[in-house]
Amino acid sequence: MFFAGILAENPIFRLALSMCPAVGISTTVMNGVLLGIAVLFVQVFSSCTISAIKDYIHPRIRIPTYTLTIATWVTVIDLVLAAYMPEAYKAMGIFVKLIVAFAIITMRLEMFASKNPIIPSFWDSVGMGLGFMFGMMALGFVRELLGAGTLFGHDILGFRPLLFFILPAAGFFCVGFMMAIFNYVELVLKRMKQEKS
Amino acid sequence: MKQILRITIGLTISCLIAAFVMGAVFTQTDKAKKHNEYLNVQETMLGLLGYSKAKPAPSDLKLYNIYRYIIEDGEVKYLGYMIPVQKGSKIAYRLLTIDLKGKFLDLHEINISPEKAIEEPDRATALKDILNPPKNFTYVESIVIAKLGEKRLAYLLPGEFPGFKTFINVMLALNPDFKILGLEIMENEEDPGLGAEIEQEYFKNQFKDKTFKKIKELKVVKKPLPAEYKKYLETKKWKKGAFSEAMIERIRRNYQDKDIYAITGATISSNAVTTGVKNMVKKFVYRVGVLDNVIRTKDVPAAF
Repeated sequence: MFFAGILAENPIFRLALSMCPAVGISTTVMNGVLLGIAVLFVQVFSSCTISAIKDYIHPRIRIPTYTLTIATWVTVIDLVLAAYMPEAYKAMGIFVKLIVAFAIITMRLEMFASKNPIIPSFWDSVGMGLGFMFGMMALGFVRELLGAGTLFGHDILGFRPLLFFILPAAGFFCVGFMMAIFNYVELVLKRMKQEKS
Repeated sequence: MKQILRITIGLTISCLIAAFVMGAVFTQTDKAKKHNEYLNVQETMLGLLGYSKAKPAPSDLKLYNIYRYIIEDGEVKYLGYMIPVQKGSKIAYRLLTIDLKGKFLDLHEINISPEKAIEEPDRATALKDILNPPKNFTYVESIVIAKLGEKRLAYLLPGEFPGFKTFINVMLALNPDFKILGLEIMENEEDPGLGAEIEQEYFKNQFKDKTFKKIKELKVVKKPLPAEYKKYLETKKWKKGAFSEAMIERIRRNYQDKDIYAITGATISSNAVTTGVKNMVKKFVYRVGVLDNVIRTKDVPAAF
C-alpha cells in the first residue's frame, strides 16, 4: 500500500496525473522537494479527513466535498506556515497555494480514501505524496543539471548546457522519457519473472 | 425533491464547516502573520542600509515613515503628506497638504501616535477627524527616511510595478544624492527558473551604485553577464579574502555606468524591473524635491 505510490502507481510517471505542476515547477531539484513536501501534507490531511467522514458524504456531491476539503487544508497550511514558520513560508508559500487544483489529490480521495478506513488511507497518501516528491525530484534533477548546470543551486557543470530544459516544453520531454524508462523497467522485471516460472 | 434538499443541506453544512475552520485559523494566525511581515520589512530595510545581525544598527539610527495621500475636494485634487514632526522630545504626526503644482496649502495636526500610524485603518480614522466630507482621501504609498544622528542616511522606497505575470513588490534604498544603495525583491510571481531569477543577487545587485544620472537613461542589454562581474555581484557566495579592497573598487568603477544585463530567457522580467526602478526613482526625486522645498520655505519642524 505504502510502496504503491512510489513505484507501481507513481502519480507522475504511471498515473500521468498532475502534469501541470510536473511540467511547470520541476525546473530545479529544490522546487521538486518543496512542492513534494507541500503535496505530501495536503494529501495526508485530506485523505484522513475524507476517510473519516466518508459515510456522511452524499455520493452526488462527493467531488465538491473533496475540493472543499483540499481547499480548507491548503488554506490552513498556508496560514499556519505564514504565521509560525516565516522562513519556510518564504520558500514554499507560492507552491502551497497551487495545490488546490492538483488532480492527484482529488483522484486519490476518490479512488482510495473514500472506500477505505483511516489507517490504510494514511499510508496510501504518504506513499502517494512521497511518490510525487520522488517524481518531481527526478525531473528537477535532469532539468536543473541539463538546463542550468547546477544542482540544489550549486554550480556543478559551470556552464548552461541546454537552456531548453528550463523551459516548460522540455518538461514534457522529460516526463515522456522517464515514463518510457519506467515502462521498460517494468517490462524487464515481468520478463524475468516469466522466465523463472 | 427529497434528494435535492439533502444535497443542498449537505453542501451547505460542509461549506459552513470549512468556512468555520478557515475563519478560526485565520483569526488565530493573522496577528502573527502581520507581525512577521512587519519584521521582514524592517529587516530588509536595515539589510539594505548595510546592517545585519552580525553588524547591528547603531542606536541613533532612526527610521521615519511618511505617508502620501491624494485628497479630493470636489473637483480639486491635491496631495497630503503625513509627516513626522519633532514635538518636544517626542514625535507627532502632521498632515502637510500641497497642491499639484507644489505650492504649500496647509498644515494640520493629527491626533495619532507613531506606533498607531503604522496601521492604515488607524491612520484613516485619524485623518477622517480633520478631513470632513465632502473631502475624500486615498492612501497611495509610504516612504521611509533613515536618519543617522542629524544627517539623512538614506531613503527607503517600497514600490510595486507590473512584471511579466503579476505585480512585483520591491524595496529600494537610495542615498541622499539618489544613488541606489540596494534593491530587494519582496514579492513576485514570475516563472520559477526564469523570471523569478530577478531575486538572485547576480541580477538585483546590478542596480547597486547606479547614480541618478545613470538611472535616468538606464537600459537592459542582452549580453552575457561577465564572469568577473557575476562573482562580484554574488556577495553571499564570497569567500574570505577573494576580493581585495582595490579589486572591489576597480570592478565597481568599471561597471557602475554600465546598463543592466538581462537574465537569459527572462528579458521581459528584466525589463520590467529596470523600468519599474527607473520610474520609482524619477518620481521620487521630483516629489521629495517638492516636499523638501515646502518644508524649508515654511519652516515645518519636520523630524527627518
